[in-house]
Amino acid sequence: MTRILRLYPQLLRTGFAEAVAYRAEFLIWMFSTNMPLVMLAIWAAAARSGPVANYTQQGFAAYYLAALLVRLMTGAWVVWEMTMEIRQGTLGLRLLRPIHPLLQWSADNIAAIPMRGVVAIPVIGILLYVARSELSHDWFSWLLLCPALLGAWLLYFLVQAMIGTLALRFESAASLFDAWLGFSNVLSGYLVPLDLFPKAFRELAVVLPFRFQLSLPVELMLGRWSRIEALELLGAQWAYVLLFLVVTRAAWRSGLRHYAAYGG
Amino acid sequence: MMRAARVVRAQLRASIAMALQYRLEFAVEGALALLWVGVTLFPLIVVFGTRPEVAGWTFPEMLVVLGWFVALKGVLEGTLSPSLLQVIEHVRKGTLDFVLLKPADAQLLVSLSKIEPWRLIDLAAAGAIFGVAFHRIGRAPGTGQVLLAAALLGAAVLVLYSIAILVVSVAFVAVRVDNLLYLFQSVFDVARWPSTVFRGLLAVIFTFVLPLALLTTYPALALLGKLTPGTAVGALFGALLFATLARAIWLASIRRYTSASS
Amino acid sequence: MIEVSHLRKWYRVHRRAPGLRAALRSLFHRTYEDVKAVEDVTFSISAGERVGFLGPNGAGKTTTLKVLSGLLYPTEGRVSVGGFVPQGRARGFLEQITLVMGQKQQLLWDLPPSETFLLNRAIYDIPRKQYEATVAELTELLDLAPLLGKPTRQLSLGERMKCELAVALLHRPKVLFLDEPTIGLDVSMQATVRGFVRAYNERFGATVLLTSHYMEDVAALCPRVMVIDKGRLIYDGGLAELVRRVRPDKRMLLRFSRPVERRDLESLGAVIEHRDAEAIVQVSKDALQAAVSRALSSLPLNDLTVEDPPLEEVMRDLFAQGRAA
Repeated sequence: MTRILRLYPQLLRTGFAEAVAYRAEFLIWMFSTNMPLVMLAIWAAAARSGPVANYTQQGFAAYYLAALLVRLMTGAWVVWEMTMEIRQGTLGLRLLRPIHPLLQWSADNIAAIPMRGVVAIPVIGILLYVARSELSHDWFSWLLLCPALLGAWLLYFLVQAMIGTLALRFESAASLFDAWLGFSNVLSGYLVPLDLFPKAFRELAVVLPFRFQLSLPVELMLGRWSRIEALELLGAQWAYVLLFLVVTRAAWRSGLRHYAAYGG
Repeated sequence: MMRAARVVRAQLRASIAMALQYRLEFAVEGALALLWVGVTLFPLIVVFGTRPEVAGWTFPEMLVVLGWFVALKGVLEGTLSPSLLQVIEHVRKGTLDFVLLKPADAQLLVSLSKIEPWRLIDLAAAGAIFGVAFHRIGRAPGTGQVLLAAALLGAAVLVLYSIAILVVSVAFVAVRVDNLLYLFQSVFDVARWPSTVFRGLLAVIFTFVLPLALLTTYPALALLGKLTPGTAVGALFGALLFATLARAIWLASIRRYTSASS
Repeated sequence: MIEVSHLRKWYRVHRRAPGLRAALRSLFHRTYEDVKAVEDVTFSISAGERVGFLGPNGAGKTTTLKVLSGLLYPTEGRVSVGGFVPQGRARGFLEQITLVMGQKQQLLWDLPPSETFLLNRAIYDIPRKQYEATVAELTELLDLAPLLGKPTRQLSLGERMKCELAVALLHRPKVLFLDEPTIGLDVSMQATVRGFVRAYNERFGATVLLTSHYMEDVAALCPRVMVIDKGRLIYDGGLAELVRRVRPDKRMLLRFSRPVERRDLESLGAVIEHRDAEAIVQVSKDALQAAVSRALSSLPLNDLTVEDPPLEEVMRDLFAQGRAA
């Protein structure tokens, strides 16, 4: 454990150097994350004649800009790296290092945060300029936002890792990830705010893990919950994180066994 | 002409054979296509659950726009993007010469070299969406309208294709450009709404600079019988102009590439 | 150091005929085949040895190497490397070995090799003093100084290979698995790599297992070879002995002062090549002496050399024999 703590900073350093080397691709990838703005367009048009439920045009702007922010800061791409390395046969080299590949990938991801910040800062600027009044006025919400973002990132990363390990058994699991992404886009509140869902659908969506990947941090930013409620939700999020950690670990072990029996 | 048809058929077969190789992916991709259509419809259904009309369009009318969007996205992701990505890969690896040495027209070969067959589901889904939309409107589109819409759809595909070709022409100069194609694909999402949804600066951008909203709005208006002849002619003409320009740039890029490489 | 006992490695592979109909059928019904990649291989290698694996493509060389490095599980049999069972992937094991694959690289593509060095240093937990000494040595041995600061993608293939080797050896592993390390390199770079591996082996007493298609690699580096064909170990011993056993013929290279007819040469032995003033004649070992004296006495010779047939041919013969048997 101490060894990993000593080793992680260097992993972060290397990850950061790579992110800088790939900055052009990175920025383009960031700019490709535009779905919240596309959705904002239609809702803003709908709200031209008056608020929809309790969302004014400004309210929609706040929601979608916050959602964009959360997605930019917590996004992960490890599933693409995993499937590519497995397909090209270079995973073997990674497995021969005395360090868990997932640790290395996680470091690459975290190390890219400064890059992400570059794109996030203008979004924050626009959010503050356009919809400051919609944001939470309670400092406690903002305090809870940090573990909420970390939890969201972990959920996102671990699901990708789980699906990536499927690629150790099946030749192409990237499409399974697309399926998961489809469900996640709907159920996490990325396309439509959860409180605009039809009632029964909403009750399902709020308990699924997808909600905790995006909607929860956004809800905190918009000050939707009281302090107690916010803490409870944070607890639920981290319960999911623990569950995903356990499952990912088991999936990785089992996948590796299969890989070493067939592929190498 | 015959040779071109044979080339296309051979490549279609190769693509399908390759696609069938991955069993799990095949099944998943089919389901995925359907899932994606559902995900695309979802926001629209929720929006029109709250309002009967948005930006001057009713629900069935917007469905028509969305139907064209699904169809065009199917074409874009089903053949244009994969093929052009392959070209970029060739440029990166230096194997484009093999393609250019082949006797069929380079552009044709390049455009259709990769086909993702499950994208046909997108076209079928578009048809289903039109069916639902016109059922709600209560009448079917007239023949003239269908023909005009088809012509405008052809123009839309041409414009899409030309934009993609332009992106690839950049690849000859600055090789690491596959991301630009992805960027374009995600910006294309804007085309799912009719152009009146956008106001102000965005409206200008999406009408004149990058005529994305028009790719789906005009065919929809045509199908709904709301397109003025003047606009239709202007759109067709503009598309042809754009395509000619794109092809000229593409040919120039290839000439430059083949004369520069050893 | 390395003990392998009755190693077997089988794969289950899905076989399909070409064509569209077969592709569709394969969606519903798959036929499988058992591919026996490695079949009952037993050997043992002591520390510090340099051993070459020879064999045609698909013979099982790379599979064996992957089993030894722990990337593949054996179907049957026992494997032990440095006292460890490779599949366990214990950290102690991983820190002792290194795998270099000629066509795949571990250097980070867009960053200079020095960045990968730093990364590996952290991963293998190399103490600073040792790290700096190793880097200095490797830089000198491989002439890396001008290369370390350039992004990997800007280096030529040969330069990249040198840096790959350096990165792979940064943690001073005791066992080196080299899978086609010289593939694609030009002749002088191949020589450099060979020289370096030898120097490393002599300096640090590391065990080296090498697979290669280039006979020169094996001839230059490996006093001991193991020949694998169709998953079986058909020879384990010295290279010279192998040559002697498989192709006990010798070759006479003759250069003449004036043109010589072919039939004059045929009495010496099998004529492999014949141009007006040069010829190569193959002679069995026993007949060599007689043939040489005959050539010296009856032919207008400028030069006569006796040598072994090229290794490529020896190998080809060896595998042809294996197939016939």
